[in-house]
Amino acid sequence: MMTDKAYDVILNTLTPETTRDDVTLPDLDRKPDPWESSMQATVECLSWRGAWDNLDRRHTEDQLGETIYRDFPVRSRSVVATAHALMDKGVISPDELEAKMEEVRARFNRQ
Amino acid sequence: MTHSHDDHAPIQASEEVSEFEILETAIRELSIEHGLFSREDHRRFSEWAESVGPSGGSKLVAKAWVDPEFKKRLLADGTETCKEVGIDWRDPTGSGTPSDYTYFYVLENTPKVHNVIVCTLCSCYPRPVLGMSPDWYRTPNYRRRLVRWPREVIAEFGLHFPSDVEVRVHDSNQKSRFMVMPMRPEGTEGWSEEQLASIVTRDTMIGVAVPQVDWTATTPPSDNGGTAR
Amino acid sequence: MTKFEIGDRVTVKDATSMFHTRTQAFIRGHTGVVVEHRPEWVIPEDEAWGRVEDGRTEPFYVVRFRQTDLWPRYTGFEIDTLETECSERWLEPAGEADT
Repeated sequence: MMTDKAYDVILNTLTPETTRDDVTLPDLDRKPDPWESSMQATVECLSWRGAWDNLDRRHTEDQLGETIYRDFPVRSRSVVATAHALMDKGVISPDELEAKMEEVRARFNRQ
Repeated sequence: MTHSHDDHAPIQASEEVSEFEILETAIRELSIEHGLFSREDHRRFSEWAESVGPSGGSKLVAKAWVDPEFKKRLLADGTETCKEVGIDWRDPTGSGTPSDYTYFYVLENTPKVHNVIVCTLCSCYPRPVLGMSPDWYRTPNYRRRLVRWPREVIAEFGLHFPSDVEVRVHDSNQKSRFMVMPMRPEGTEGWSEEQLASIVTRDTMIGVAVPQVDWTATTPPSDNGGTAR
Repeated sequence: MTKFEIGDRVTVKDATSMFHTRTQAFIRGHTGVVVEHRPEWVIPEDEAWGRVEDGRTEPFYVVRFRQTDLWPRYTGFEIDTLETECSERWLEPAGEADT
């Protein structure tokens, strides 16, 4: 079972532009960004290699997405839930994730 | 700034790199560093996830429309018949099946029955034939409401049926995966399989739309949705 | 060897939520008709614990419900239905009281 306290490192990824607003079903229809497809592959790999089963992950996405991360857009649920789960499971620490994100951000901005 | 015209910069959907993208990259790289999966694993699944769209499903439907024997086979054994269009449900990526589906069934729409699919428990979806599921399909909004108020929900997509047509909701809660075979619309006599496949869009195979002769997956509709005949 | 045949009226047991079950809450206690057989596979309750090799397999059935039976305030039409798959252990023959 997942902890019910949101991690700051995750909460800090939400910006006013990306905050979820209630839209009708057809409005949610959009082409996925490349990172979404990449995330899809990541969760499949996690399930396939035994780290986190797909079904558990989907339930967690719902649970967290409707509660502690309810302001996040639906399309970010996979990445948010996975980050939360990996920290809960002790696979990575919040500091480690923070540091890695800094490194990635710097690398992307260099390009 | 330096590198602002770097030819090797990745193509971005928007100008700025989003925080979600940074988070996604960080999670992926940390997972790989911790040995949860390999770069090669991820590359193979990426390729598959990006390459699979609804074209497999469209092909199946178009073929069934023109070939009655194929249609019979497809309705009798969806899993096996998919192989005839190059889709193997047990081995979609060439590296084993990552998800827990096993059986594929095609649901035929008739003048008396309109089918629509949902997974209330976890948004399972027939990805090998339809690609990635739309955002809305995965929301509790759709999943909770479609089973309770199916006609209201499909009306939001512009689809209505009279009281003598049965709206049949299929909740894929177990190992089966479903796809709707819509009815062939009038005005398509003599069309090739390719032409027919072009009007069989993703939404018509979920069941929130019906094919129209002037509406393909790549051209916007000329009016607001459609009404079943 | 299947307990139920196509056309049989069956009621979904109203058992309390078992861990990792895939039987939706909204069909429990309700009566429908068996419309198809499915191949046997390991029940979700065992599969969730990784017991794919030695988990209990049993027949599965497609059960069709009338929407007006499932939802007290159904706003569609009488003719509408909902189908879902149930493992044998979750089904019992419909009683005489159900019409």
